[in-house]
Amino acid sequence: MHGISRRGFLELASIGAASAVLAPGPAPAAGKRLTVLHESSFIPPFDEYIKTTLAEAYEKETGVKIVYEVTAVGSLPTRISTITETGTGADITMNGLLQVIQFSEKYLDVTDLCKEIGDKNGGWYDAGREAVVVDGKWKAVPFCNIGQLMNWRTDWFAEVGVKTFPETWEELYEVGKKLKAKDHPFGFELGHGFGDNHGWLYPLLWSYGGAEVAPDGKTVVINSDETARAVDFARKFFRDTMFEDVLGWTDVSNNKAWMSEQISCTNNAESILWFAKKNFPEIANVTDQAQNPTGPKGRFHLMGAISHSIFSFSPVKEEATAFMRWLMDPKQLGGWYAVADSYYQPTLHAYDNAPMWQVEPRNIPYRDAMTTAHLPGWPAPASRQMAESVAKYVVVDMFAKACAGASTKDVIKNAEAQLKEIYRSA
Amino acid sequence: MTLRSEPVFAFARPLGRVSIGVWLDRQSVFSWLMMAPPLLFLAALVGYPFCYGILLSLQDRPVAHPGTFVGLKNFATNFHDPIFWRVTLNTFVYTAVATLLKMIGGLALALAMNQQFPLKNLVRALMLLPFIVPTVLSTVAWMWILDPAFSVLNWLLVLLGVPKPGPSWLGNPVLAMASIIAINTWRGLPFYGITLLAGLQTVPPELYEAATIDGASGWQRFRYVTLPLLQPIILIVTLFSVIFTFADFQLVYVLTHGGPQNATQLFATYAFDIAMGAGQLGLGASVALTMLPALALLIVALTIYLRRG
Repeated sequence: MHGISRRGFLELASIGAASAVLAPGPAPAAGKRLTVLHESSFIPPFDEYIKTTLAEAYEKETGVKIVYEVTAVGSLPTRISTITETGTGADITMNGLLQVIQFSEKYLDVTDLCKEIGDKNGGWYDAGREAVVVDGKWKAVPFCNIGQLMNWRTDWFAEVGVKTFPETWEELYEVGKKLKAKDHPFGFELGHGFGDNHGWLYPLLWSYGGAEVAPDGKTVVINSDETARAVDFARKFFRDTMFEDVLGWTDVSNNKAWMSEQISCTNNAESILWFAKKNFPEIANVTDQAQNPTGPKGRFHLMGAISHSIFSFSPVKEEATAFMRWLMDPKQLGGWYAVADSYYQPTLHAYDNAPMWQVEPRNIPYRDAMTTAHLPGWPAPASRQMAESVAKYVVVDMFAKACAGASTKDVIKNAEAQLKEIYRSA
Repeated sequence: MTLRSEPVFAFARPLGRVSIGVWLDRQSVFSWLMMAPPLLFLAALVGYPFCYGILLSLQDRPVAHPGTFVGLKNFATNFHDPIFWRVTLNTFVYTAVATLLKMIGGLALALAMNQQFPLKNLVRALMLLPFIVPTVLSTVAWMWILDPAFSVLNWLLVLLGVPKPGPSWLGNPVLAMASIIAINTWRGLPFYGITLLAGLQTVPPELYEAATIDGASGWQRFRYVTLPLLQPIILIVTLFSVIFTFADFQLVYVLTHGGPQNATQLFATYAFDIAMGAGQLGLGASVALTMLPALALLIVALTIYLRRG
């Protein structure tokens, strides 16, 4: 048997090396994979659309494979924590409420990309910016707001002579009293869920002029006459329009109560109407939606901010940036928003009059609420302390304890003590 | 008879192999060799996280940030946190009441299952169901049972004359705690029941016969024969049960998430909220580690008691 000669080996090696240098190779990004982490959507077609339509289109166009990894609702912070601690697991992640500030040091600065996207699409909503800018740098590309608004039964409201949704909290209270007497109580979450409680209690606090911390992000200002008025209102609102069970509700509870026709008004995302239309059309026919009522200091909403960040340790940062640029182009983004009706409210002004808003006119209040939407610790900028306050349910439990019978003075004093401990490190 | 002697060299083995074989045959070496895999497993999956947890608890360690050593500051922060004390009280009440109920109920279940009756084996297998069904699944079922609008309990109570819609099981702080204790008891009973049943079956029947001949009543046979012989098993099951109950997470996380107003918040759920929700890994670890002294004391006390027995 003849082995290859030394001369033959050298010839083959030279030819191989020359071919490698001269041959036209695939595009630099081709053959690469990008893992995008997302929380499972309440609107199933939303996940399906990126997994199939968008991911396939992008791979066809660039050769980069998009792996869309879905994590269960509520488990996103745990997954991002694991990824940031181990430095592996995904290249792009979705962020919920206050996750950008929590993980910002491990996120790529995308200021230039956001400026480019904003310039092309009519600019960003302030609320979108509020949720992603950390120390002057954009650490995520804003995606949308999942607004928490009022959902109300038009037929039952009509029974007490109300055809349009009440303008103020006090007016809503008066209607609620009448409806409870007719066995159609209201149902607003006062338990330890993750969204439907904060969704109405922070806006209530703000609309009476209260806040947990001053704009400096350090001075705790919860102990005020304005907070006391908000707490007093919440107590009577609970007592005269609701029932005891709401004190223990989590986020599924009001949806369950709505579909079983137990309640006549609640505060929820658009998904409540979306789900009713698919599964309970008779209930959907008598469901309408409205912005939160106004208080003495105005009308407010909670910013349920969703954004996307690129991990700074990702080995494919450039590809990830290119993908985000492609994804945020109206050709892709418009279709992705549209599959979920308007459950995900865009944070770019270019979509203010997009066709997605024509699909269901009852969703339009969610668009209009964007201008009065803020993060929980507003008027302070997002902070780790704010995230701790939310995780400990300080404001939610302040209201809930008052509703359960504690005095206004005591609940505010307790909340103040907790917040001072939390914001001590600010 | 002739003796054939084989050349010695035919049996000779290399010196190294002989010594390894002999070395391995030593009981002290062999036993360590057998124990090494589980020890390594424990060190990697229990020892390392435990030590890392202690290290975290001594740091100001926001998620995704490097930590800074702060000594016992996190524990001092907990000391001044009113929710922490509420959580401590909740955890002790939850563990004590649920364990006691499981002990009494489990013993009763074991005694009942030790009798002869038709379809005994099938009933014993069914008894294990609450223990086998994943906690999250069974908790979702309980979520429906405890929802006033759909609750079979409330339906029965309303039939019995309680005003509609009946009690708010998860909205009322006292009832919410009672509810999670009841569910934990329901889930943990089979563990007690089946272990004590195994213990009951080791009691020699002659002892009962002798006691009966001596004129002992049913209660006296239980008190002076069954109970003393079951005592070591009861202690071991209680030890395990206390550890599991003290560190319970899934049930509360799914059902109430610590609400209403932290009435059902336990160490495990509170530590999780602080570490994962608030991103304060150090503070969260310090809450979780607070469980340690109480559990360690209990384990030491029970071990001493068992050894004396």
